[in-house]
Parts: sequence; structure tokens; C-alpha cells
Amino acid sequence: MRHRWTGLAYVAPALAFVLVFTVYPLGRMIWLSLHEWSLIAEPHFIGLENFRTAFSDRQFWVSFLFTLEYTALITPVLIVGGYLLALLTASASRVRAIARTIIFVPVVIGLGVSSLLWYWLFSTDFGVINRILLDLGVVDQPVLWLGVDAGTSNSAISVSVVWKVIGFGMILFVGAIQAIPTEITEASLVDGAGYLQRVGRVILPLTMRTVLLVTLVSVIGSLLAFDQFYIMTAGQPQNETATSVFFVYLNSFPYLKLGYGAALSLILAATILAFTVVQLVLTRRSEA
Amino acid sequence: MPATTGCAADGELTMWERSGGNKDMVDMLVAAWNAKNPRCAVKLTYIPHTEMVGKIAQGIASGQVPDLMGMDLIYAPQFEKAGQLVDLTDRVGAWPELATASKGHITVATYDQRLYGVPLYADVSALFYNKDLFKRAGLDPAKPPTSLPELRAYADKITALGGDVKGYYLPGNCAGCNIFTVGPLMWASGAKIEAAGPGDEPLVGDGVKQVLQFERDMVAAGNVHDGDRTENGETFHLQFGSGKVGMMGTGNFNITLARQQNPGMDFGIALLPGMTAGSSASFIGGDLVVVPKGSKRVNDAVNFMKFLLSDEVQVEVYAKALNLTTRSDMVDNRYFKAEPLVQDVAKALLVGRTPYTLTFFEQINSPQGPWLKMLQRAYYTGDDLDTVIADAKKEMSAIAAKS
Repeated sequence: MRHRWTGLAYVAPALAFVLVFTVYPLGRMIWLSLHEWSLIAEPHFIGLENFRTAFSDRQFWVSFLFTLEYTALITPVLIVGGYLLALLTASASRVRAIARTIIFVPVVIGLGVSSLLWYWLFSTDFGVINRILLDLGVVDQPVLWLGVDAGTSNSAISVSVVWKVIGFGMILFVGAIQAIPTEITEASLVDGAGYLQRVGRVILPLTMRTVLLVTLVSVIGSLLAFDQFYIMTAGQPQNETATSVFFVYLNSFPYLKLGYGAALSLILAATILAFTVVQLVLTRRSEA
Repeated sequence: MPATTGCAADGELTMWERSGGNKDMVDMLVAAWNAKNPRCAVKLTYIPHTEMVGKIAQGIASGQVPDLMGMDLIYAPQFEKAGQLVDLTDRVGAWPELATASKGHITVATYDQRLYGVPLYADVSALFYNKDLFKRAGLDPAKPPTSLPELRAYADKITALGGDVKGYYLPGNCAGCNIFTVGPLMWASGAKIEAAGPGDEPLVGDGVKQVLQFERDMVAAGNVHDGDRTENGETFHLQFGSGKVGMMGTGNFNITLARQQNPGMDFGIALLPGMTAGSSASFIGGDLVVVPKGSKRVNDAVNFMKFLLSDEVQVEVYAKALNLTTRSDMVDNRYFKAEPLVQDVAKALLVGRTPYTLTFFEQINSPQGPWLKMLQRAYYTGDDLDTVIADAKKEMSAIAAKS
């Protein structure tokens, strides 16, 4: 019995941390989702009404589907691009180390800052990108990159995000590739495997756990996308680039519908949980 | 305790203000107060404009409120109804200065016949026009357009100059800029825009469709730069001073800005017109000073209000900086007499109005709201305008129904 209390004492700080910063906020959010609350008036219990409203709210579905579309577009680019960059820069050489550093640097910049940077780069009147395209004669008038066409806006934002985060996956892949025992690589060389065969049959299978990890992180990050869309398009044109988190923010604060925002957050959390479970199952299968 | 323009008690006063408003003006007002009242200086904190409503609400919910606040006047009714502002009626209601204070501000500072604030500064919208471009286009710079058909004809001539010059400016992706500048065109054409509350019908009158058609035609005729379509408010204040725009709806704040930006440019100011000659309107915007519930310094907050409305501050701070005075009886001052443009823009106060609704942000100001959606469909698509208006009407009514 004494050992049991000793063990509990050891984990108590972590337990308290989890209770205060995870369990309590989650419980509070569930409570909130069952209320109508504008922050400036008293909360009013309305049961599941916020959830009913969410599922019949067209804009909720528009933002949800747009978020899935954005996730489906950007995740493969981040995984495949990050992996290719890792293959190109994994081996030890000064030039490759410098290349790795250059690609990784944007990761340490805040997403808000990088979004603002790209907002100005893509600006119609003042942007460098339009200036270069005009000078090269690629276009004869400035391109309306942001906020006019959903596809163009999404592509422009995706470019900024790839620039910002591709180095994160690359570094993880580099670590995984470098961790492959040299005997295995040498054995494949002795067996006469070419580079592509070595990548496909040796390196990729041995780094599959990292691939799944990076996929999981990318999917969750994309489903929670907010800053880049808030700063670069504010959901325009006509809410077509409003992500799920943007919709949560909009309802919770500018519209002062905190209960509705909480319900939307819970729906989003459940979606992310479902993706995570699928990923974990896939991870286990790959290990089996 | 009768109000003065000095300290009621020692100690710093905290004040929140939005950063997207007339920052220079508020800085000057606070500096003037602090110079006179160093024992109870105001410590000003700016909140990003887009975060303002949420931040104030969070402050109120957590009990962390400043002693006084500058608040975009349009949001005041929402907070007044919720009982989150201090009722100032018995403290300031009898002040003679209020008789001439900006009507638009006082309207939204009043809820259920109780008064909750006084004007901090006023922004009115008007039509700025570039006299240099008028001359080049063969137009008389002393005769700005007095109706929308005339405005269209003038814009065509200026656009015909070619190069990078366009006759008109339309902020295509900014809800707030449009209610400030396109909204008055509708009012001047006899229309009503927002729904005040449940059951109130928005977008009433032929003027709505007429103005939407007018703007659609202006875009189609090439009188607007293509890039204006992406304007989300970030560069709105810089457009007129660029010298590439013949006519543009903007605010009094642009007098000083345009001069700083383009000192050689000659420009004039007229009232925003409607469909028929001689009709005009303006949006009276700006900020109120209010006292949030929980303020520990209500007496000094009231003294600060008295200070703002005093003759001396109206003339030596507001007028000297060429900003509109917030009292109509102070317009006749030596600084404005030396500056005809301010006199011209001050006329907008007489035809101006301030919308009164508890859901202004959701209906009008939000980039996701029905107002901007309607405008963008009208400006940039070929959708049937009756359908466009009907869709917006339905959405605005639904929002107002929940207020």
C-alpha cells in the first residue's frame, strides 16, 4: 500500500497538470457546448441545440469540406516532398548539411509571421511575385492571388505552408534514414540493388513508422489550419477558404457565440480523433 | 460629485482602444489629458481592431476591465443591452455640451433612454476627387458629381485618360469599407440597409438594386482597378493618395493622409450622392468613450469625457489636427476656416447616419457576412440582382431574428 502512495506522489505533478490543462478544459468545453453564451451575458442551457444547428449549418459543411480538401491537397506534398528532400540531403556532406539547414529554417518562424510575409509577396499591387511575373512577361497584368478565386487562393496558401513546414518532415525523415544500420545498406549493395531498388525495398520499409508519424502530424496540422487562412484570405472569396477552425473562431469571438463555437470544436476534435485512430491502426499493421 | 476636466483621484487610469481606428487622434487626446493631469495619466492599450469585440467580452467575462474604453460606436448597443457598460445618464445627461454632440454617436450611446457614452472621435464618409485628373479629363474641378449617373459619366472620362489611372475606386473585399462608402449611396437613393432587430426588414427600397447595378456597371466598364477586388481594408486608406484614382468614397481621416502621401496632389471633397441630383448621405462612424462595468475609476472616466467635450480640446486638439470636432457648435473655428476641405467634409455630419442594430458585425462588418457576399456577387458575377438581394435579405433577417 505504501508503494502505491509513493508511486502516486511521483506522478501527482503530471497528473495535476493533465487535470488542470486537459481534463478540466475539455469538461468545461462540453458544458459550454450545451449552452448559449455570448460572454457578455449569462449562459443559458439549450441541450444539444448547438450540435443540431451545426449539422444544419451550410457554412459549417462548406468549411469542413474545404478543410478536408486542403488536407488532402497538402499532406501528400508534405510527405513526398519532405521524403525526397531527406533522400537528397541525408548523407553526410557539408553542402547537404547547409541545404538541410536552409530548408529547415522556415520551420522556426511563427506561422503567423510567415503568413504575413507571403500575404505581402502575393499582394496584387505591392507583391514581389507579381512584379517578377510581369517583368518576365509570364503575365500581362497582376494576378489576383488571394481572396478572389478559391482554387488560386488555396494554391497560393499551400505554397506558403509547404515552404514553412516541409523542413519539419524532412528532418524527421533524415533522422530515420540515418538510423538505418549501415550493414543493411551495404548488404543491399552487395546484392546488386540499384538506388531506386534500395529506396523502395530497403529504406522506405525501414522508415515507414516515421512516414506514418509525419502523415499523422501533417493531417492534424492541416485539419487545424487557421493562421494562414485568417491572415491571407480571411475566408474569401465568399467563405470558400474558411477552414473549420476559422469558423470556430468566427463564431466564438467576433460573433460572440461561445457555446456554438464549443460545439463546433468538439465536432472537429472528434474528427481528428477518428483520423488519429485510423493512423494508429495503420501504424500497428505496418509493424506486424 | 460634479465633473471637472481634472483628476478626481490620484493614480493611473487604464484605457483600451482599437488599433484600427483613428490612432493618431486618440494619441493626441490622451497626450493632452496627460499633460494637464499628470497625477491621473491615462495609460492607453491598443487592441487590434478585428479582435476588439472578443477581447472586450473576454475582459468583461473575466472581470479584467480597464477604467475606460474607446469603442467602435457601431458595437455599443450590443454591450449596452447586455448591461456591461456603466449607465452615465445621471452623471453626464445634463451637460450642455451634449446638446451639440454628434447625433450619430449619441444615438448608439443610448439604450432604453439611458446614456452610456460620449463621442471620442468622428469619422464621416465623403467623396474625394482628384482635381488634377479632373482637369486632365476636361472636367470642371469646381463641379464634383451630384448624382450617380453623373459620377459614372465623370469616371468614364477619367478612365479614358489611360495608363494606370481609373475613374473610381471600389474596395472589393472589405465589408467595413463598403458600408462606409457604398452604404451611403444606397441611403442617398432612399434605401435602408440593415435589420435593426427581429422582424425588421433589411435591404428595403429601389436604391439597393440601383446602387448595386451602378457598381456592377462601373466594374464592367473598367472604371475600377482589377487589384481593388482583393482590397480587404489593409491598403484602403492609401488608395486615394496614390493619385491613380479619380473619385473615391473615403473618410475625413484621408485629408491629412493623402497630403502626407502625395503633397503635390490637388483634391476636393463632395458629399456621396444618390441616384437623383442633389441627394446625398454619409456614414457617421468613429468611436465612443464608455465605462465598462467593473471600472474602479468611474469619476475620472467621466472627467475625461468632460475634458474631451470641452471647448478648448474641441478646438485646440481636434480642430488643430484637422480632425472633425465631435460638437457641431465647434465647427466654426480658426483652424477649419483656414482649411476648406475640412469645412467641406464637415457638411457630411448633417446628412450622415449611424446604423443601430445589435448584430452589426454579423450582418455587415464580417468578411463572412451577407453584406459583403451580396456586394461581391453584384460587383463580380452576372447573378440576377433580385436573387442576390433576396438571398442577402434572408440571411440578414435570420441573423437579426436571433438578436
